[in-house]
Amino acid sequence: MNLMSGVLFGAGDPSQTHHWLLPETAEIIYGGIASLIIFSALYKFAWPMIVKSMQARTAKIQKELDGAAAARTKSEADATGIRRALGDIDAERRRILAEAETQAAAILVDGRARLVKEVAELEAKAEADLAAARGRSGEELRGEIVRLSSAAMAASIVASLNDRAHQDLIEGFINSVGATK
Amino acid sequence: MSNAKIESYSRALFEIAKAEGNLSVVEDELFRMARAIESNEQLRGILTDSTIPVDRRQQVVEKLLGGKASNTSVQLVSLIVGAGRARDLPAIVDRLVQRASSEQQREVAEVRSAVALSEDQTKRLAEALGKSTGRKLNLKVVVDPSVLGGLVATVGDEVIDDTVRTRLEQLKTRF
Repeated sequence: MNLMSGVLFGAGDPSQTHHWLLPETAEIIYGGIASLIIFSALYKFAWPMIVKSMQARTAKIQKELDGAAAARTKSEADATGIRRALGDIDAERRRILAEAETQAAAILVDGRARLVKEVAELEAKAEADLAAARGRSGEELRGEIVRLSSAAMAASIVASLNDRAHQDLIEGFINSVGATK
Repeated sequence: MSNAKIESYSRALFEIAKAEGNLSVVEDELFRMARAIESNEQLRGILTDSTIPVDRRQQVVEKLLGGKASNTSVQLVSLIVGAGRARDLPAIVDRLVQRASSEQQREVAEVRSAVALSEDQTKRLAEALGKSTGRKLNLKVVVDPSVLGGLVATVGDEVIDDTVRTRLEQLKTRF
């Protein structure tokens, strides 16, 4: 206990004029005055700057907050727009699909009708072609028979035209011409 | 060739033959020669081929007609070939025959036969045709195997056809 109090109060060394931890009274006074002057100067010159700086920082932070809020609002608006557009796209897709289905159905109906008509026309044409081919074959056959029989007849007649026949034909011609007037 | 040129050449041939005094012989020989050129494609090709020298073509004519026709006929055909008018020789000769017939107040009667006619047949045929048409005729007989048999006579626009070829054609159309 004595040691503790000695350390704290220096009671142990009588040569000491004052306590080792505490300054002298004059120093306390000068130091206090100097401190007051410094604090006053600081209050007068530095504090407004600090306040101004703090206000600017506050304003900047507020501005950033406002900007963020605006961006968020804009983002939300964009998101709403996108959602609405998605809805519109979906509706448009459904409309286009429905329209395509309607058109496809109409085309299918038209196509079936046209195919039925074309098949009927083809059948009719095939029937006509067949009939024409039958007729043509008959005609061609008849023509071929005529041609062959004519050729055979001509060949037979020419082969039979000997000199006697030629003379008979010539005399016949002279007599028949001479008989006419 | 234009009609005017054919006319000019035929007149020239006519005058030469007449001047030589053998018009009837020349026109008959030239008529036969013209029909031969008409019916023989090879002969026509040689006589009208401009790539063959003229004297060579004239030699062909002289070789063909030499000894078979009068000298006047040979010279006249040679003249036409030499003038590069062999293609028009049939037309020139036809006009010459018409001119010669007109000179004798006769009309040309062309008769086509598959075989040659005897002199007697030719004479009787001329008389028969003359009697039938009531005109004096200058008969020209052409041997044309394509008629097959019988005769066809053409006098001006009138045609008397009694050929085997025509009868066969008529028979074909009846089928």
